[in-house]
Parts: sequence; structure tokens; C-alpha cells
Amino acid sequence: MTSVKEPPATNKPPVWKISAWRSMYPGMWSWVLQRLSALALIVLFPIHVMNPYIDSVRITMLLLVVWHAMHGIKVILTDFGFPDRHQRKLFWVLCVLGIAAFFWLAYMHTEYWRFMA
Amino acid sequence: MNEEVRVSEDAQLSEGTPESGAHEEPVPEKEEPEEKAEKRPTVRVRIRRGGAAGDPEERFDSFEIETGPRMTVLDALVAVQSAQEPALSFRYSCRVGMCGTCALKVNGRPAWACRTRLEGLGDEITLEPLTNFPVLRDLAVDMSPFFAKMKRARGWLEPTSAAEKAPALIAPGSRERKRIEPHIECITCGICYASCSIVGHDSDYLGPAALNRAYTLVNDSRDALGLERLLEVCTEDGAWRCHSQYNCTESCPKGISPTGAIKGLKRRAVTGGVKRFAASIFRGRAPGE
Ligand code: SF4
Ligand code: FES
Repeated sequence: MTSVKEPPATNKPPVWKISAWRSMYPGMWSWVLQRLSALALIVLFPIHVMNPYIDSVRITMLLLVVWHAMHGIKVILTDFGFPDRHQRKLFWVLCVLGIAAFFWLAYMHTEYWRFMA
Repeated sequence: MNEEVRVSEDAQLSEGTPESGAHEEPVPEKEEPEEKAEKRPTVRVRIRRGGAAGDPEERFDSFEIETGPRMTVLDALVAVQSAQEPALSFRYSCRVGMCGTCALKVNGRPAWACRTRLEGLGDEITLEPLTNFPVLRDLAVDMSPFFAKMKRARGWLEPTSAAEKAPALIAPGSRERKRIEPHIECITCGICYASCSIVGHDSDYLGPAALNRAYTLVNDSRDALGLERLLEVCTEDGAWRCHSQYNCTESCPKGISPTGAIKGLKRRAVTGGVKRFAASIFRGRAPGE
């Protein structure tokens, strides 16, 4: 319609193509998984409220919460001046701490339920 | 002096010309390394072709090239262009990692063609134009949106009247210098911009390089544009859009952390805002008045 020449389209691989994800680094994966964990928690939380005794839901939620918090802690620390050159190390350290926290909390949790039963 | 020069020229000539008998003998010996050179390993270079300028069809063309020691992606491109496909379009200038014009995607990740060696890239190397830029043709992209954003972030120094009169002294050990130092080496290659998923998502987002530049200037005591620049870059399409994914930091060939610069801008905006808020309360006025 207009006489203005179309500018060339921006080169962007669509998100469903693997090539769009190949240049992603750990920090990006950490972010993507945090967003996904948030979505999963939104779905699981009402189920948990309705019936708090489904073990699989409880454990999955624990895992998701720990993961979500882990990325959050990373962002908070770097926002407040944690040196950027160590951000990748921070990611891996938090991964390990997150896994440890998950197992510890899961253990405490089952002990608690055993005690209550 | 002149004589000396002539002597050395003669010496060079006699070395270079195989006229004397002494130089004819080693000729068969010389053939051997040439034969070896013929057996050099080859790699297949897959290049994404096409774009806006006269050749719109997007496709991948493959070229077989012989590799040599320390050969770079840029050498490979020049080899393809000079021996196989003269119409291949790509951009470069300095060839030594100083100008930032040769950036493209090597096996899916943005890199400088001139500083990326073929070794370790595999037998098939895929080259594509940078993501988040309009493709002009083949591997050459239009950098104008990137530089327009540099301009939007006021990416130049506006000297204060004091700095205009006399050269300002910023001591190498000073806090100011230490803040700016890790962020000044940017050569505007656009790699961070291409690797940022937020730029891909929000085309108005200033992007890592422009924000990194703004950070160096916001911290510079010689610059007079302080608050104006900070307000320009700390907006929804500026620093606050960053999601701390660190793709730019991981991919910058100069080792700069634009993410760190963006976080620095955010901190400055917040502390500035808090100070203004506190000051307005002390003065007994509503904040923002
Ligand atoms: S910050 Fe690094 S990647 Fe980004 S334009 Fe500058 S040199 Fe290139
Ligand atoms: S040609 Fe200048 S940086 Fe590669």
C-alpha cells in the first residue's frame, strides 16, 4: 500500500527451531527453567491446597520451589554486586546447594509425616 | 647507504631466483612438502545465503575448502570467495579483532570470524548472519538499528564545563576508574546484541552494548549528561528490561560484562531514586514534586 520500501526483516530463528537455542549459556537455562518452574508451581499449588497428601505433588513442588529459589538467589546476589566474572561458578555452586537442600528437605519432610502418622 | 641497500637487494634476488646450479638441486626436495600440502585436511563450510539485496531466497550453500595451520573462519570465507563463489557477501576490515565488523554466527554461536580458528569446529562448519539484525545479503547484516540504539543511550561524552576547560584527572586507582575500566573496551561488534534473547523479544530494547556504554558515561565525572542519560536508559525498554540471562556476558569476545553494567545502572537508578525520595520527605514535600 505504502510507497515506503520494506526494510529487510530482522534475522530471528523461530523459538521452536533448535538453532534459536544453540547460543544459550547456563545463565539462560537457569532463567528458562525458573520461568517454567513458576508456571508448574501455579498449576500444582491449587492441587496441593485441595489435597495436601499426594506425595508426588509434594515432592515435585519441593523440587520446583528449590529450583526457583536458586535462580532467584543468584539474581539477587548479582544485583547486589556479586562479581559477574564468577556468575557461572555461582550458578553451579547454587545447583549443588539446591540439590543438597532438596534431599535434606525431602528427608525432613518424610520424617515429619512418618512422625505424624 | 645506497650501496648497502643495493647489496641487500642483490642478495635477496640471488636467493630468490633458482638460476645457479646450487638452487636447482633442491627442487625435487621441495616438491615433497607441496605434495603434503595437497593432502591438507578439508572442511565443509555451510554458509547461509540470500537476504534482502537482490537475492532473497534463503538457503544453505556448502563449500569444500582446504585448511591450513591457524586458519580462521575469515580465511575460510576469503578462500571460498576468491576460488569458488565470488558473489559471497560478508564483512570485515581489520582482520585482527579490532574493528568489530566481521561478527557472524559460527556453528550457532556468535563470534568474530577473524579470531575464530577452524581447529575444533568440526568437519562441517555452519556460518550464519548474526541474529537480531536485518540481513542485507548472505552474512552481511545491517547494523543501523544497533547504532541507532547507541545514539538513543547518548553513547558519547558531553563534557561538563569544567572538563571542557581543562583535562580532568581520573586517577588509575580511583573508584570511578575501577568502575569504568572493565567496560570501556567495547568495539561495537554486535555479538552481545545478537546473543541477547530480550533483544529478540523486544525490538525496542536498548540492548547490552548501548547500556554498557551508558554505564561507562554515567560513572564518568567529566560527563554532564548524568541524570538525563540515566533517565533515558533506565526505562522499560532499557536497563529494567534485562532478565540477567548473561548471554551477552558469556559471548562478548572482549570479556566485557554488559549484564554487570546493566546491574550497575539499576543500582544507580535505585539509589538515586531513594535519595531523592528521602530528600523530598526531609523538605516536607511529596516525592516527585
Ligand atoms: S560489549 Fe562485547 S560483544 Fe557487545 S558490542 Fe561490545 S565488544 Fe561486542
Ligand atoms: S575483521 Fe575486524 S574484528 Fe574481525
